[in-house]
Amino acid sequence: MNYFNINLSFLSDWLTGFFIFVILLISVPSAVYSMPYMKGHYSTKKSMLNWALLIMFVLSMLLVVSVGNTIYFLVSWELMSLLSFFFVVFDYEDTESVKAGVLYIIMTHLGTACIAAAFFLLYKYTGSFDYAVIKSNISYLPAEVKNIIFVLLFAGFGTKAGIVPLHIWLPQAHPQAPGHISSIMSGVMIKTAIYGIIRFAICIFGPGPLWWGYTVMTAAAVSCLVGVIYALMEHDIKRLLAYHSVENIGIILLGVGGAMILKNMGLQFLALLSLIAGLYHLINHAVFKSLLFLCAGSVYRATGTRDMEKMGGLIKAMPWTAASFLAGSLAISAIPPFNGFVSEWLTFQSLFGGALNSAGGSRLFFSLMAAALALTGGLAAACFVKAFGITFLAAPRSTAAGKALEVPPLMKYMTALLSVFALILGLAAVPAIKIIKKAAGMILAIDTAGFNFALNNSVVSVNADKGLYVSNPYFAILFICLAGVIAAALYVFLGRSSVKVGKTWGCGYYNLDSRTEYTATAFAKPFKIALGFFLKPFRKIKKEGDSIYHIKKFEYETHTTHVFNEYGYDILMKFIMSTAKKIRRSQPGSINIYLGYIFITLLVLMLTVNMF
Amino acid sequence: MVEILLALLFISTLMMVTAKRVTAVIISFSHQSFILFLLTLFEAVKINSLELYIVSALILIIKAAGIPMFLRRVVRDIKVNENVGFYIPPVLSLVCVMLLSYMAYIFAGRMLHINGSTQIISFTVSLSVILAGMFMMVFRMKAITQIIGLIVIENGLFLAAVVICGGMPFFVEISIFFDLFICVIILGIFVYRINMLFTHVDVDKLTELKG
Repeated sequence: MNYFNINLSFLSDWLTGFFIFVILLISVPSAVYSMPYMKGHYSTKKSMLNWALLIMFVLSMLLVVSVGNTIYFLVSWELMSLLSFFFVVFDYEDTESVKAGVLYIIMTHLGTACIAAAFFLLYKYTGSFDYAVIKSNISYLPAEVKNIIFVLLFAGFGTKAGIVPLHIWLPQAHPQAPGHISSIMSGVMIKTAIYGIIRFAICIFGPGPLWWGYTVMTAAAVSCLVGVIYALMEHDIKRLLAYHSVENIGIILLGVGGAMILKNMGLQFLALLSLIAGLYHLINHAVFKSLLFLCAGSVYRATGTRDMEKMGGLIKAMPWTAASFLAGSLAISAIPPFNGFVSEWLTFQSLFGGALNSAGGSRLFFSLMAAALALTGGLAAACFVKAFGITFLAAPRSTAAGKALEVPPLMKYMTALLSVFALILGLAAVPAIKIIKKAAGMILAIDTAGFNFALNNSVVSVNADKGLYVSNPYFAILFICLAGVIAAALYVFLGRSSVKVGKTWGCGYYNLDSRTEYTATAFAKPFKIALGFFLKPFRKIKKEGDSIYHIKKFEYETHTTHVFNEYGYDILMKFIMSTAKKIRRSQPGSINIYLGYIFITLLVLMLTVNMF
Repeated sequence: MVEILLALLFISTLMMVTAKRVTAVIISFSHQSFILFLLTLFEAVKINSLELYIVSALILIIKAAGIPMFLRRVVRDIKVNENVGFYIPPVLSLVCVMLLSYMAYIFAGRMLHINGSTQIISFTVSLSVILAGMFMMVFRMKAITQIIGLIVIENGLFLAAVVICGGMPFFVEISIFFDLFICVIILGIFVYRINMLFTHVDVDKLTELKG
C-alpha cells in the first residue's frame, strides 16, 4: 500500500523552460514596479507582507510549471491560487475587494476540484502520479475515461484561464489587486492554466480525438468575442484590461486548439505553426498585458480613480506613461511593428493553412475561426482607441485628472522597459520563433530540424526556396519609409501654415469645458447598438422640468446585461440557495431531533448490517 | 442465575422508560446499576479476576449510589416540576422499547450465529438497554432525562462488554468510570445553569440557541 510514494521530480524540458522564462520576464519588472507603487500608500508592515507574498507567489508559479508529479502540481497550484487570493483581498477595507475575492476563491476551487478529480482518475488507471509514468501507461485508459479526464481538465484549467463561460471571476478579481499584482495575475498566472492544458492534453495524452481540438477552439473563439465585447462596454480601465485577458486567452487557445486538430489530421507542419502562434501570443500577451496593467496602475496612482470617464488629458501630465500605454495599446491591437501583430498574424496563417488543407466541415470551421479572430481584432483596436483616447487625450474630465502628476521614475522606467520588450518581440520575430519552435516541437513530438518557415506568396509554407522570412523588420522599415514619404509630401505640398493654439477638440470655440467632451459611453454606443442582441442594453431617461422646453433635471441611465451572470450563474445560485434553505429545515436546533438523527442512524445500521 | 439477573435488569429498564417522574427514573436507574453490580460480581466470582472485583465495587459506589444521589440533589435544588415530559406517552413508549428489544434480539442472532444460549440473551438485553437509553434521550423533554439516558447507554455498553468478553481492559474501564462521573457532574452543573438562565430545563424550548 504505497499510496503516497511520491518523488519530487522537476522537469527540464523546453516547455517548462519557456514558461519559466515568461514568468520571470514579467514578474521581475512588476516586482520592481511595486516598490514605488506601494510606497506612501501602504504601511511598512503591509509592504513587507506584499514582498513576502509576492516572492512566494512567483515561486509557486515556477513550481506549477516545473514539477513533474501531479500531486506536487496540485499543491503548488493551490498555493498559487491562495496567494493570488490574498492579493485580491489585499485592500480588505474595500468591500468590493472582499466580494471579488470570495467569488474568485469559489471559482478557483471549483476549478481545482475538477483538476484533482482528473488527476485521481489518471492515478486509478495508470497507477502513478508521475508525468513520465502516466505518459507511458496512457494506453491503459479506456477512451471514455480519457474523454472524461479531458473535459475535467479543460473545465478546471479553463476556470483559471477565464474561458467563457467560466470567466466571471476574472474581471472582478484582477482589477481589485494592486497594480503590479494585476499585471502578474493577468500576464502570467492565467497562463499557467494554458501550461496545464498543453502539458496534459497535448504532451501527455498525445493528440486526442478530433472533438477535443474543436471544443478548445470553439471555447476559444467564444472567449475572444465575448471578452472583447464586454471590454468595449467597460469604463473601468483595469476591468477593461481584465476583459481583454479573456479575449487574449481565447486567441492563445485558438493556436493551441488548432495544433490539436491539425496534429490529429496529420498536418505536422501546420500543427507546429499553430502551436508556435499560440505560444508566441502567450508571451506577447504576457508582455503587453502586464505593460498595460502597470500603466493602469500608474494612472490609478496619479488620479486615484479607475473610472475612465473621470480621466482625460493625462498625456500632458504623464507623457512617459502615456507613451508606454500607447505602445501596449498598439501591441494588443496587433499593429506592427509591435509584438501582438506577429502572433496574431501567425494565428491567422495557421487558420488559413488549416482551411486550405482540409475539406468539408473542418474547412468551414477554420474559416469561421479566422472570421471570429478578425472580428475580435477589429473590436480590440476600437476598444483601445477608446481606452487610450478617453484616458490620455482631450481635456481632464475631473479635478483629480487635472492635478495628476507623472509617477515616480522607477514606475515609468518599468513600463518603458516592458514596451521595449514588446517592440523587441515584434522586431526580432525570426529568432524568437526559432526558439519557440523547439518548445512546440517537443510538445507535439515533431522533429523540427527539417522545418523552416518561409513566406511564399504571403502564405507560410515549409521549405520554400527563397522567400521572405517571417520578419517584421521589413514591414517596419516599409512603414517607416512610407510615413516619411507622406510627411515629406505633405510638407512640400501644403507648406508650413501659421499655427494658432486653441483648446483640444474645441474646434476654435473658446468656452468649452470637459462636460462637452466625447465620453467612453458615447464611444461604445454604436457597438452597443450593433451588438444589442447579445448585450441587451438597458436605457432609462428621466426628464424633470416645467415644460418640455424648459428642463431642469435630466437623468440618463444605461447599462448592459451580463448574460452569463443573469441567465447562468444567478439561476444556479438561486437554486443552490433555495436548496440550502430546504436543507436548513432539518436543523431546527432541537436537541431531541439531533439525538433522534443519531438514533435513526443507529437503527438503520443495525437493520442493514448484513448488507455490508 | 445470570438469566434472572438479566431479566431483572431488563425490567428495571422498562420501568425507567415508563416512569412519569424524574425521581422515579433516577431510582430505577439506581436499581439497574445495582443489578449490573450483581452481574459483574457474578462474573468476577466465575472467572476469579481481581480487576472485575474492583470494577464491580466501583459500579456500586459510583453508579448505584453516587450518581443517583447527585442527580436527586440536582432535581431537589432546581425545584422544577417532576414530570419528565413525554413526547411519546408511557404505554406507547413501552411498546416501542419492546419492539426495539425484539430488533436487538434479531440483530444479536445475526451477529453471534448461535441460538438460544445465554450469550445471545445477554447481548440482546445489553443492546436493548442501549437502545432504551437512546430512546429516552430522544423522546423526553427534561435535560435530566438526557443525562440519565446517556448513563443508561453506558450501562448497556458495559453489560455487553462484561457478558460477551469478560469486561474491557482494566484501565479502559477505570477511565470510562472517571469520564462518566465527570460528565455527569458537568451536565448536572449545566442543568443548574440552564435553569438559572431560562427558569426551566425543557430542552425543547432551547431551539432559539441555533445560529
